[in-house]
Amino acid sequence: MQQSQRRSLEFVLDNLVWFMLLAVLAIFSAAVPSYFQPGIFANIIEQSSVLGVMSIGLALVIIAGHMDLSVESVAALSAMATGILFASSGIGMGITFTPGWLVVPASLLIGIVVGGLIGALNGYLVVKVKMNAFIVTLSSFIWVRGLVVATSGGRSAQNLADEVRFLAIQRFLGIPLTAYIAILCFVGFSFMMAKTRLGRHLLMIGGNEAAAFRAGIKVDKVLMIAFILSGAIAALAGWLLAIRTSGATANLGAGMLFNAFAAVVIGGVSLKGGLGALPGVYAGVLLLSSINTAINLMGLPAHYTQVIHGLLVLAAVLLDTLKQTIRKQLA
Amino acid sequence: MTDQLLVLDKVTKNYGAVQALRGVSFSIGKGEVIALLGDNGAGKSTLVKIISGGLEATSGSMHFEGGEFRPKSPSEAKAAGIETVYQDLSLCTNVDVVANFFMGRELTRSMMGIKVLDERRMEEQVAAAMENAGTRIPSLRTKVEHLSGGQRQAIELNRFVHWGGKLVLLDEPFAALGVEQTKRGLQMIRKVAAQGIGVVIITHIMQQAFQVADRMVVIRQGVVAGDVPTKQTNADAVIGMITGETLTGAGPGEGVGE
Ligand SMILES: Nc1ncnc2c1ncn2[C@@H]1O[C@H](COP(=O)(O)OP(=O)(O)OP(=O)(O)O)[C@@H](O)[C@H]1O
Ligand SMILES: [Mg+2]
Repeated sequence: MQQSQRRSLEFVLDNLVWFMLLAVLAIFSAAVPSYFQPGIFANIIEQSSVLGVMSIGLALVIIAGHMDLSVESVAALSAMATGILFASSGIGMGITFTPGWLVVPASLLIGIVVGGLIGALNGYLVVKVKMNAFIVTLSSFIWVRGLVVATSGGRSAQNLADEVRFLAIQRFLGIPLTAYIAILCFVGFSFMMAKTRLGRHLLMIGGNEAAAFRAGIKVDKVLMIAFILSGAIAALAGWLLAIRTSGATANLGAGMLFNAFAAVVIGGVSLKGGLGALPGVYAGVLLLSSINTAINLMGLPAHYTQVIHGLLVLAAVLLDTLKQTIRKQLA
Repeated sequence: MTDQLLVLDKVTKNYGAVQALRGVSFSIGKGEVIALLGDNGAGKSTLVKIISGGLEATSGSMHFEGGEFRPKSPSEAKAAGIETVYQDLSLCTNVDVVANFFMGRELTRSMMGIKVLDERRMEEQVAAAMENAGTRIPSLRTKVEHLSGGQRQAIELNRFVHWGGKLVLLDEPFAALGVEQTKRGLQMIRKVAAQGIGVVIITHIMQQAFQVADRMVVIRQGVVAGDVPTKQTNADAVIGMITGETLTGAGPGEGVGE
């Protein structure tokens, strides 16, 4: 095959998700009545914020060649911590500050510290104890959710202070501030992956861990950072979720893991590690939201959403395998 | 030779029940080229990994530039000035040539207080290094997975020449190289040694060893079976040491297995 042909094929493979997103939007706009309007697109972006942020952390760990199944539960725990401490009804303790806006950094900080700690535990067990990341984070997925249910007694916390709710209500160009936070995260972490040594090292560890180690990269430290980041970012997603729903319930965010997983894989991150970039993941999240929105507009019952999501995960992994096969033939 | 650079004293290594090294002692001087020879499974790669920090010795000691030396990781050995080209290639095929060349030592520049990869400066230096070595690679921005085995090996070789250091370990570095590239590689080794850098090269090709080495160290079944200046020996004698037909060193009697 010719160099130029190979280049363009590779370009398409690397950016496949963007083409898919455009195609899906075009199809829905044509087929679903009332799909094509600014309000819908703003809604898609808004819907993408929590899932988007969660997917960033998951993507970082997968790019580094590992796995973090705990992101959903960590997000729920962070949301519940925010809810219990700062919501005023239900099981909320309604802690307030003077000035009132201090609730924003306080709740965010608590969430991120909790998430970072769970990430650190995951990282420690995977990197130092050398346990399998899948098993370690599956167990965290379960026990952290258990902690959410236990601390809440299965009940919910409602009514966050207006100072923090503001982030979900205040809109700029029709999009709430929470969505801008998600976009900012994507920009920031995309920059980190593409332009800094840490990002480069994550990518190379995912590609060939032994080579990175031999080259003097502190693989253990970098992987530890990846797990901690994943936990902290998941916590940020949970915080956003709490703000959006103005509180937390024991089963908040249940099922998001698989959406995040689908978004990451559809976004071009390979499950074998070392491949993929965050802008693609954002496109993957937008793609899922577009599909959700279409399902809503068409008035399909909610359980069908689950069927479709399940199939999407399958399709995503299939796509990953397919791309790997094509790449092998290219090489 | 002149100053001692690295001295190994009764280094052993067990992989579980397998005794890969059973007490290896020899030394390398500054600017000296040593050919490390031995049959398959003799323990050469194991020895290289111990010196380069990838493995820890089970017992024995090493001295580097006169000081106790026991690297716990490749980054420690690198910091001390030891560069290694491994037998199985150590490249990340999912990134480009430039990224591989600078793996773990990326150049950065400051952008608003943030250290950002300095891609342009890195690419320039890689281009210069490749040019120097006469290695032709279509684009330095191609992912390594699209390069041939020889091109990959050339990247690794150029990488060690570029970084220099004090001691270079080469584990069968020419296995995938063509005639011309191998010739250049051997010249490169002499050039590096002339700068006072110690070189250890592992090879199964006797001719290469005689061409480039000042001294031959033969490992057989985990011990040094011979340690002779190149000028005082010949291919037959060395092959004898490798297979165990002549007893020059402390090697065991016979029966050289895998
Ligand atoms: N990771 C390992 N686990 C167990 N045994 C090992 C391991 N690596 C090497 N060995 C054993 O140690 C001995 C020495 O192996 P080593 O790779 O050092 O040999 P070598 O001299 O480099 O051989 P070759 O010329 O084939 O590269 C062999 O018996 C090998 O089977
Ligand atoms: Mg070997």
